[in-house]
Amino acid sequence: MIRVAGREHPWRTGMTVADLLRETEDAHDCPVVRVNDHYISRPNYETTPIPDEADVFFITMIAGG
Amino acid sequence: MSGYDLKLVQTFKYQRPAIDKGYAHQTLYVDLSSLEIAAKPVTPTMKDVFIGGKGFDLWLLWNAVNPTTRWNDPENAVCIACGPLGGTPAYPGSGKSIAATLSPLTGTVIDSNVGGYFGPYLKFSGFDAVEIQGKSEREVIVYVDGIDQTVQVFAATGLPEDAYQLSDVLTGHFAQGKPRNISVVSAGPGAKNTFFGCLNFSWYDPKRQRARYKQAGRGGVGTVFADKGLKALVARWDAGISVETNQPADRERLKKVAKLHSKEIVELDPKQNEMARIGTTHIVTIMNDHDLLPTHNFRFGSHREAPNLGQAVFRKLFDPGYDGCWMGCTVACSHGVRDFTPLTGPYRGRKVFVDGPEYETIAGCGSLLGIFDPHTVIELNFYCDAYGLDTISVGTSTAFAMECFELGLITTAHTGGLQLYFGNRAAALDIVHQMARGESFGRLVGQGVRRMKSIFAEEFGADPRILDDIGMESKGLEFSEYVTKESLAQQGGYGLALKGPQHDEAWLIFLDMVHNLMPTFEKKAEALHWFPMFRTWFSLCGLCKLPWNDIVPEDNKSTAEPAKVMKHVQWYAAYFSSVTGRESAPDDLIRMSEAVYNFQRIFNLRMGLGRREHDTLPYRAVGPVTDLEYESRAERYDKQLTDTHRVDITGKGTAEKVALLRTFREQQYETLKNAVYQRRGWTADGIPTLSTVKRLGIDFPEVVALLKANGVTA
Ligand code: SF4
Repeated sequence: MIRVAGREHPWRTGMTVADLLRETEDAHDCPVVRVNDHYISRPNYETTPIPDEADVFFITMIAGG
Repeated sequence: MSGYDLKLVQTFKYQRPAIDKGYAHQTLYVDLSSLEIAAKPVTPTMKDVFIGGKGFDLWLLWNAVNPTTRWNDPENAVCIACGPLGGTPAYPGSGKSIAATLSPLTGTVIDSNVGGYFGPYLKFSGFDAVEIQGKSEREVIVYVDGIDQTVQVFAATGLPEDAYQLSDVLTGHFAQGKPRNISVVSAGPGAKNTFFGCLNFSWYDPKRQRARYKQAGRGGVGTVFADKGLKALVARWDAGISVETNQPADRERLKKVAKLHSKEIVELDPKQNEMARIGTTHIVTIMNDHDLLPTHNFRFGSHREAPNLGQAVFRKLFDPGYDGCWMGCTVACSHGVRDFTPLTGPYRGRKVFVDGPEYETIAGCGSLLGIFDPHTVIELNFYCDAYGLDTISVGTSTAFAMECFELGLITTAHTGGLQLYFGNRAAALDIVHQMARGESFGRLVGQGVRRMKSIFAEEFGADPRILDDIGMESKGLEFSEYVTKESLAQQGGYGLALKGPQHDEAWLIFLDMVHNLMPTFEKKAEALHWFPMFRTWFSLCGLCKLPWNDIVPEDNKSTAEPAKVMKHVQWYAAYFSSVTGRESAPDDLIRMSEAVYNFQRIFNLRMGLGRREHDTLPYRAVGPVTDLEYESRAERYDKQLTDTHRVDITGKGTAEKVALLRTFREQQYETLKNAVYQRRGWTADGIPTLSTVKRLGIDFPEVVALLKANGVTA
């Protein structure tokens, strides 16, 4: 089980950030996803696995300096 | 510290006015040549048209200088202002000062928005702004004591040179046992010996029991400050500040909106970018992943070692604890590194506290130089601050020199033996120490990219065409740290920025490239209207822009214009209305900024800038200059040539493709300029029209005469 923005979500072995986004309705077009303390950018969604028990947050906006 | 002497040379007693709806209604004038000190009234026009903060700075500066004034003439003024909302502790990000002067780098107005306590303390002491003109032959301290209602000038001898020690000593000297009541503004030895000196603004951190610093970095405001013989500017005010201190028009409404924004940040920041824990360091790897992190003088936008400079590293290095550069800011992003031990320079081997680094410093003093070692970046950060140097200009100028060295345009004969290749950490640190001492090759680098280009071409025989293409400056100011090659909107954000390529005016790179929110020229032009205007508004009011869009409401993504974060814009309109009593809607905020923005453009025109020909970019900001750059992203560029520009590239060599792409991209940038000028109500030459200045209420006789002299009569 993982938590996505505080809500529980089922986890499975090998699940990537891209998989999670496909399964999540309100993921929209977010450019960055935070998995625990790591910030994962869109180009790396397909290759980044999500560990079990992870806390995941969708970062919808990057505002710059 | 002993052995210093402060000799009182002038005293001005005044009656502190009651603050009314965010204003003191007077400004402070100090002439360092004659030691005249005076209070000047704030006129209704100043409030109506210029609002405060940067607006007041511009108006004071406009009246202080003339079209032939140079940065180091006595009549150039250093102006520092708060703003009507500045000094509100309950609303996040409400303690900014805005510094402005004629820049040694650009010859026209430079403005910097900076944290620390000085601006609010100055206002509560009775002055919405301070304007310092003239020059002193001996080093002086100007001390504004709002509690004792006195302004004093001291001739100073024996004080420490570097900003860290100096602020510490002056805080102790003036605090009368309450260091939190003191804010010090100072430059440093680097500011004297370069053209990009910064100002350090202090705030006292009671938990760590030390003065902390934020920097007014850009454009050499510290250099002007030091050139005036001004060692430091000190304000004293009672730190027991509340929402009442600004005497807001409607305190209940203010408290309500402040609570909403503050609470939302506390709740959402941990779920979003964790500014309170890692500041802006999260941007490093995100930029790297999107090919936007400048490396090796903006040649490339990513590097495999960039994660060494990312948030995962700084999360461990930052000293945990509250880091708000103004009281009560819940974003609290001004982090620092405790017990850092420099390996070089006067502090070698001693433990110091370093304020920073933030994203721009990490990119400018790290990846841009091919340096991916956080220790070196922190050391460069520390010495730049201590010496009073702008980390962005230091990084961008050093990177240019490094690329020139690697290309063989300059050699060890010019660098004084320094092997100035990318990644040479010792050389980068040497350059900074040399800048502070005003010696050797560092002295030359400290003149900035534009002057280096001339010297390298005229004295060292380098090809001026390649220097122009890779020298990352526009209007004389060094670029801040984003790769803009693939974002036409951000090229406009830099090239059309009034003071030169600094991202605080328009940061559109992500909206354009990653979100693809502005696919047409018209949409880009609209963004290059709205965003610079709204961002300008923060500097009119004494605010920080970070709480606006670095933490966004949870439902923001489903709003009509998520990039604008309209819920927050509404809150800001309510905030402004509740303090000033001037009922304002979001469109009114834009209209306020538009007046000041256009006035600044006209100020540029007055100083010989401010036309289409000045809104130029080095080609490195637009596309690949060298074959190496093209080939590193050949698939992308080939696809653009074939799909977007319908070019048959069969049999074409890299150099030919580089030239073709350049033609298309340069055309696009010119087309963008047309669209933006039209949207802003400017002529095709980039000058505000008469009807624009009339609409905005800035049709002062001098402005109209200036437009007429430049052929603008309608
Ligand atoms: S958001 Fe950060 S920079 Fe802005 S006022 Fe707060 S602590 Fe200072």
